[in-house]
Amino acid sequence: MDRSTDAQIVERVLRGDAELYAELVQRYRDRYARYALHMLGNREDAEEALQDAFTRAYRSLARCEDPERFGAWLFRILVNRCRTMGARRGRRLRTFVSDDLALYEAAEDHPAERNAWREEIERALGRLRPEQREAFLLKYVEELGYDEISRLTGAGVSALKMRVMRACDRLRELLSDVVDDREVREERGLPEVNDARHT
Amino acid sequence: MWIQRVIAELRRPVRMDDEFDRNVMSVVRSLPRHRYGTWARALRPRTITVRPLLPSVAAVFLLAVALSLGHAIGTLRAARRTRTRSDVAADRAASARVTTRRAVQFVLVAPTARKVQVVGDFNDWDASHDEFRAEHRGGGVWSVTAAVPEGNHRYSFVVDDSLWVVDPTAPRVIDDNYGMPNSALLVEGGDAGR
Amino acid sequence: MSSLTSASFGLVAAWVVISAPCRADAQSNSDSRLTRLDATTRVAVAAVVDSARKTRLPTEPLVDKALEGARKGADGERIVAAVRSLFSELRTARVALGAGATSDEINAGANALHAGLPMRNLAQLRSAAQHAGRARVTLPLTVVTDLVARGVPIAVTSDIVLSLVRSGLRDADFGLFQRNVRLDIEHGADAATAAQTRARGAILHGGRSSH
Repeated sequence: MDRSTDAQIVERVLRGDAELYAELVQRYRDRYARYALHMLGNREDAEEALQDAFTRAYRSLARCEDPERFGAWLFRILVNRCRTMGARRGRRLRTFVSDDLALYEAAEDHPAERNAWREEIERALGRLRPEQREAFLLKYVEELGYDEISRLTGAGVSALKMRVMRACDRLRELLSDVVDDREVREERGLPEVNDARHT
Repeated sequence: MWIQRVIAELRRPVRMDDEFDRNVMSVVRSLPRHRYGTWARALRPRTITVRPLLPSVAAVFLLAVALSLGHAIGTLRAARRTRTRSDVAADRAASARVTTRRAVQFVLVAPTARKVQVVGDFNDWDASHDEFRAEHRGGGVWSVTAAVPEGNHRYSFVVDDSLWVVDPTAPRVIDDNYGMPNSALLVEGGDAGR
Repeated sequence: MSSLTSASFGLVAAWVVISAPCRADAQSNSDSRLTRLDATTRVAVAAVVDSARKTRLPTEPLVDKALEGARKGADGERIVAAVRSLFSELRTARVALGAGATSDEINAGANALHAGLPMRNLAQLRSAAQHAGRARVTLPLTVVTDLVARGVPIAVTSDIVLSLVRSGLRDADFGLFQRNVRLDIEHGADAATAAQTRARGAILHGGRSSH
């Protein structure tokens, strides 16, 4: 069955078929929820930012200049919403509740272990500067190219590369005590010793 | 490499539930429908994306001036318009510090009662406050007049320390969490609204 | 860097420092009233209250809901479920009512949602109030909850209250309408019929009572 393109759906919504907007919501909600969740650090904020982005996108749908790239346009709105919310609420400790994530995802193989690891990562992410976290997530998690990130954020490519590099350095520093000893040794070219897995 | 593990973990899919979709569509349905199709785009002014200014002397000065102006305008608009969300938090903080209370009379007809108290969010559902203990006025009529902060409240009568009774003359709240309904009380500035 | 450029950066930095919201890192200060709850329940409730605080939702209704449960002898699990449910309703109410909604409106909105009012109707009510020049929707939402609690079906209730708001009914007339419906029901009238009849009268006469 042929799936309607984003442009086709946008056109029909602009002609009055509001219900069809639900199709766009379903297409993009999960993927963009991931970005909002990692950027803002908790489920409530992420849902609010995402919901806000979708409703703003609907309101200004006529201003979407390239409906074929509705997703990218929506994502830009979401990135801005996350920035606004993050700025308004200030830097704060993110209380990432692993239960929240379990509600989002499919069944875990080893929930306790994975959740502990996840919490460490999220905590470390939360301690990055917002612009570094944003650049890191867009580059490595959302897998966008630097040109696209530049268009999205307004920052220059070299500034973005610097932010990503600093984010990686900082994450390494923050996560160094939870990363597997073995991985660290491998990275540094050190000989094998008895396995001592950090928890 | 450890960074790959971090990235792999962050790339794990996140799944929203259908309630999210319903909430978005609820708001969408309440908004005016679009009508004109792609013609609407032709009629609307184009959005101009402004890139951040390069760090030059003039640019920095202009940025500072523009931001200051924007801040001033924003402050003026906020003062004129309905309150922003930050005022909700200020609401709570303000109400905690300075609460305007109004005298509210609570009346219950309970001919066989020996004790009638009013409990609600205005006294943390604590029946030990004497100021909310009703007096028997005769003929089964119990009443108490107490100072209640302005705002939206829920309350109930407790008869003989055990029986929860809604106020028959007050609006109801569907408080079915604990199996005992409550009454609603809206205390507004000037005149108490029930 | 020239002294002029330094001065410029200093100006911007000063502006940023002055203008940025000066907000202390809000630590989760447990409400001392929650000590009435057992430890497990207290921790769970405090977590929800904390989430609400961080998302700038009213926290008092959540604490109140927990205290109510404690007073009514509910077990911890039930209290936590009630608080979480209310948190969700407060959040939904805020989205529907939009920025600018007061704590009382959000609270009243949550109650109305709990009574079964669909979120879109809540948003519609807000929109209608704004068009009618009504500043607050707290009272109309209280009326929604009351009518449903007295047996008026939610769809009928929603239509009625929306009509009353659109007609520009004042607060005092809303109160009168509510009282009249209550008395009619107490006299044996069908709830929906009483509400619809009184609503027509309220719109026609601006809420003049016949009792």
